[in-house]
Amino acid sequence: MTIDLLKRCLWFLTLVLAQVIVLGRIHLFGCATPMLYVWFVILMPRNYPKWATLLWSFMMGLTVDIFFNTPGMAAASLTVIGALQPYLLESILPRDSAENLVPSHKTIGHMRYTYFVIILVSLYCLLFYTVELFGFSHAWLWAKSVVGSTILTLTLIFTFEIVRSK
Amino acid sequence: MKNLLDFLQRHHHWLLFVVLEVAALTLLFQGNSYQGSVWFSTANAVAGRFYKGLSAVESFFALKKANEDLTLRNFYLERQVTQLRRLYGEATARPDTLAERELRKLQQYQTLPAKVVSSELHKPDNLMTIDKGKADGVEVGMGVACGKGVVGVTYLTSDHYSIVIPVLNVTSSRISCAIRGHGYFGVLRWYGGDSRYAFVEDIPRHARFKRGDWVETNGYSSIFPPGVLVGQIAQVYNSRDGLSYRLKIRLSTDFGNLRDVVVITDRSIAERMRLMQAAKDSLKLNVSE
Repeated sequence: MTIDLLKRCLWFLTLVLAQVIVLGRIHLFGCATPMLYVWFVILMPRNYPKWATLLWSFMMGLTVDIFFNTPGMAAASLTVIGALQPYLLESILPRDSAENLVPSHKTIGHMRYTYFVIILVSLYCLLFYTVELFGFSHAWLWAKSVVGSTILTLTLIFTFEIVRSK
Repeated sequence: MKNLLDFLQRHHHWLLFVVLEVAALTLLFQGNSYQGSVWFSTANAVAGRFYKGLSAVESFFALKKANEDLTLRNFYLERQVTQLRRLYGEATARPDTLAERELRKLQQYQTLPAKVVSSELHKPDNLMTIDKGKADGVEVGMGVACGKGVVGVTYLTSDHYSIVIPVLNVTSSRISCAIRGHGYFGVLRWYGGDSRYAFVEDIPRHARFKRGDWVETNGYSSIFPPGVLVGQIAQVYNSRDGLSYRLKIRLSTDFGNLRDVVVITDRSIAERMRLMQAAKDSLKLNVSE
């Protein structure tokens, strides 16, 4: 239990550091930013207490916000993802899967995992940029940012997934 | 109750979700000026619309009082408009030279200007009220005239108002008048009907006059000084017994829109008339001697 918690904290810190030091400064074409920290929420195991998922998501979002001086944006969006992730995971998994399954290529299959990740990441980017721009005055910028960030983040996640599974 | 608690227990993470989301959104709106201002203005718009609706309902309940206040104000303003219109009309009215001349003639005597407060034209016995009374020096039995001609005789006075019997009174009006220039005199009577025409009775058959001659007061009464206009001869009829003429006079006073009159408060008319007559008579005797 505690080991699990510690492992999770370490994972949390790694992702935060990666985002703050490296990834947060990438702004391709002035609009696309990779947001790898969403992966943290995606990897929450099946049947992990929902309140705990929510808390982790909130903390992750808050930390990223503090470092990037965007108070409340990531926190609000990530909490929504944290609320949805258990339900989405349950819906794509067959009934007889393992109790504390951690979603990955290996555990639930390529197609399902790909869909899972794509849905959550695109939803997160959508929410994040909607909250950031908060209106329809920069619709083109909003569209570009959502699509660009989604593609970048997905690329990174899938790359690291392949590395992890090796 | 147990079901409710079970339900709450199963879904308690949603409550946590709400709490965390609210915290995140608070941070969002507090920390970012753009989002904060959008939130602020939207919230204000919503609150504003709500308060507008509420105040509409409240003001509906206050309508009765507002209605009463407006009615009162309307009443005052309408009265003011009527007064102003009258003043304006008087100020810009065409000057009536005949009326001015007559009034100047009257002013040799002691006169008191007054305004007609109420009058009637269509009854057989009409009465008129003027706005001067005992406090202003009006007494019973004084003559009332206007610029255009004779109006009537005061009948009853109170402190601030007086009743005048105008010419248009069948039973009570008896003003003595004469044809200008010829001196033949008669009594002015009115028999109802048209308020512009009256009759002078008992003009002798040997009198010389023609239609259009002016009729005025002859000074035989102690009420009117001589020379106050009465009207012009319109028609000549025979009297009922055939022994004299009956003249139909077109009255020069327009009783329909009479407003400004003059009360002849001079008590010395009669005395002066007599004195003047005595002086003339004595002069004639002197000259003839």
